[in-house]
Amino acid sequence: MSRGSENTDDVPPKWMSFRSLLVFSMILRVFLIVYGEWQDAHMEVRYTDVDYIVFSDAASLMASGESPYKRTTYRYSPLLALLLTPNSFFHRSFGKFLFSASDLLVGWFIHTILKERKVPEKICTYSVMVWLFNPFTFTIGTRGNCEPLVCAMILWIIISLMQGNLSQAAFWYGLVVHFRVYPIIYALPIILVLDSKIFRSGQKPPLENWNTGQTKTPTSNTEKKTFLFNLFTALKSLFSRERIMFGLISGGVFLACNAVSFYFYGHEFLHEALLYHLTRTDPRHNFSIYFYHIYLHYEGQFSAVEKLISFLPQFTVQFALVSCFWQDLVFCIFLQTVAFVAFNKVITAQYFVWFYCLLPLILPWSRMKLKWEGLLCIILWIGAQTHWLLWGYMLEFKGLNVFLQLWVAGLLFLAANTFVLVKIIQRHRFSPLFTRYESSSPKHVKKLH
Amino acid sequence: MASQRRRSLLTLIFICCAISSASSDQVRTSYGDSDQIRSLCISDRFIMESYFTTSHTSLDDSEFRNFLLLQQCSSEHDPTSIVPATSLIQHRNVTGEGSHRNLLTSIKLLPFYSESKLHELVILERLPLGVFADPFELQSLQQRRVFSDVSVFGDTNLELPSFRSNRSVVEIHVEVSPSDYENGEISLKLPLHARYQPLDDSGYSRVEFGEPDLFLCSSHEQRRCLVLSIGRSKTETRSVFWDIPAGIRGHTEYVSALTFAAAVLSAISILVASVLSSKVESCKNSKQS
Repeated sequence: MSRGSENTDDVPPKWMSFRSLLVFSMILRVFLIVYGEWQDAHMEVRYTDVDYIVFSDAASLMASGESPYKRTTYRYSPLLALLLTPNSFFHRSFGKFLFSASDLLVGWFIHTILKERKVPEKICTYSVMVWLFNPFTFTIGTRGNCEPLVCAMILWIIISLMQGNLSQAAFWYGLVVHFRVYPIIYALPIILVLDSKIFRSGQKPPLENWNTGQTKTPTSNTEKKTFLFNLFTALKSLFSRERIMFGLISGGVFLACNAVSFYFYGHEFLHEALLYHLTRTDPRHNFSIYFYHIYLHYEGQFSAVEKLISFLPQFTVQFALVSCFWQDLVFCIFLQTVAFVAFNKVITAQYFVWFYCLLPLILPWSRMKLKWEGLLCIILWIGAQTHWLLWGYMLEFKGLNVFLQLWVAGLLFLAANTFVLVKIIQRHRFSPLFTRYESSSPKHVKKLH
Repeated sequence: MASQRRRSLLTLIFICCAISSASSDQVRTSYGDSDQIRSLCISDRFIMESYFTTSHTSLDDSEFRNFLLLQQCSSEHDPTSIVPATSLIQHRNVTGEGSHRNLLTSIKLLPFYSESKLHELVILERLPLGVFADPFELQSLQQRRVFSDVSVFGDTNLELPSFRSNRSVVEIHVEVSPSDYENGEISLKLPLHARYQPLDDSGYSRVEFGEPDLFLCSSHEQRRCLVLSIGRSKTETRSVFWDIPAGIRGHTEYVSALTFAAAVLSAISILVASVLSSKVESCKNSKQS
């Protein structure tokens, strides 16, 4: 991304203003929802995602007083079925409008976060376009997938932290972990970043801006010590007031949501909405490198050692990323999400949205140019996916035994993910989310100058 | 008078039997040892509705016949119990490619049945272990009036592989009009999906289809059904099968080893890149401050 000072080059043309982008995106999504209804009625292949039909059925079951888990393959929180109850009495596309609205909200949040960190208008606009005009993004909401809701919640948590609103961040964090289990991986970096030297609840924490990093003033550099020392000081002050508050509020919200759901729907809720996601081993083909291994062993049982071994790479990578990058919170959670998806036992395309919504937030700090490094990363990543999809087509629609080739395609996809991750790490301009408070301690004052 | 009628009816049956036994291989006797089952009297909408709730577990021929025996009508409700023993399945085939195919069956109804005042043809497809029917897909077919009624009983889990699932049965109801007797054939297309198969060294697992069970039923609530044909799980005459890709056992060791090696290698790459990047940043700091 080019360096910029405040000149007219940084101001995008009027037609590209954020407001007009948002309006255009809204029109596009409305059009796609209407088109989707037409395609469902007139063509063999439906536009609407199968999952949306599952949600709607579960919602109508809930509306008539029954358990949404009576609907097979409904594996979400009862909250989702509750949100979609208007599908039964208002219009069946209500859910799609809700998800597309969340999708637009994510665009708005991205813009807000970048503006808070004083990113120049032009770069801000390009970053927002990476989300709003990503074909994957606008199809996922309009097809009826609920991931945009989760993305909106995650970004709102980041905004709340940036504004010093601890209890709100904790509330939404507890809710989002109840909704979708995966955000639990963000717990450690969030807790680490709530260091009382850099974050005090009730006050807006000082943010490290885009500019300060660009011009490399000594002020900002005093924050970057070796990662080991950072980790040590962080662990020492583990039980600060803010951290305890965050833990209690988010834990409380999470438990309360689960308790209410369990009260209404019992063990079915526990198995389908929570335990299923923790123990899911699907032998059916998917992008994960583990699928063939799981299928070949499915007739037997996995020993505890085998389960542990398969979890080790995931755990190691998560721990390494958090240790090295927790201060740059947004970058950290972006890397964690990409790695989590890549090393997971099951990978489906909808998981990609989890990091697509975070990508625009790290792009302004990347030294990677679109030509040719950026393009190479995009081509490799999409190419590896397409290669896998071709073999998947041969298996599912031509009935050929290509399990081995599919598995190799999965290995190549992991290689592509690793390459892109490593490149992004190498080209990132490390920038902590919060700067330290100009505290009264003389030691700190000395170091600032 | 009554005895004369009975004699002529018996003659008719004899002739029909003679014809059937002399015909081509497409025609065969429907049932040998179960010729006691002629008609059923059921109170449910579907014949199979009470099957799995009355402690039946498998769908094999003997258990299924026992179930039908229990559903039999008592003799005073059974005036048209004589059924000519001719095969009604004209054609049976699995069409399509890949994991999603269609089971095509065409059935010929004899004009004799049009006098029975039973207007609903009920077909029971006892599916073999390796395939399943999607209840939601079938419901949408019903909404499009392809079938008048359809339901799946048994194991309807769409996700488990075949060695972790049980069989299922699809009950299809088709309205029969007088024109169907004239035109000759009723065609059925049942969409089916493959489960993940048990491992096989050849790379494919063969799933064989038997014959469906056919009944002709009345449309009102206390249903009376005429047993037309009780199929066998494996047919003697025609072989309808589907070869589904299966994992190859021989791959197990090196797939597992290479999978873990790849995971470890990727993890190490990311770990090294992260640590190096942190070190570079801290070097920059120590130079500047």
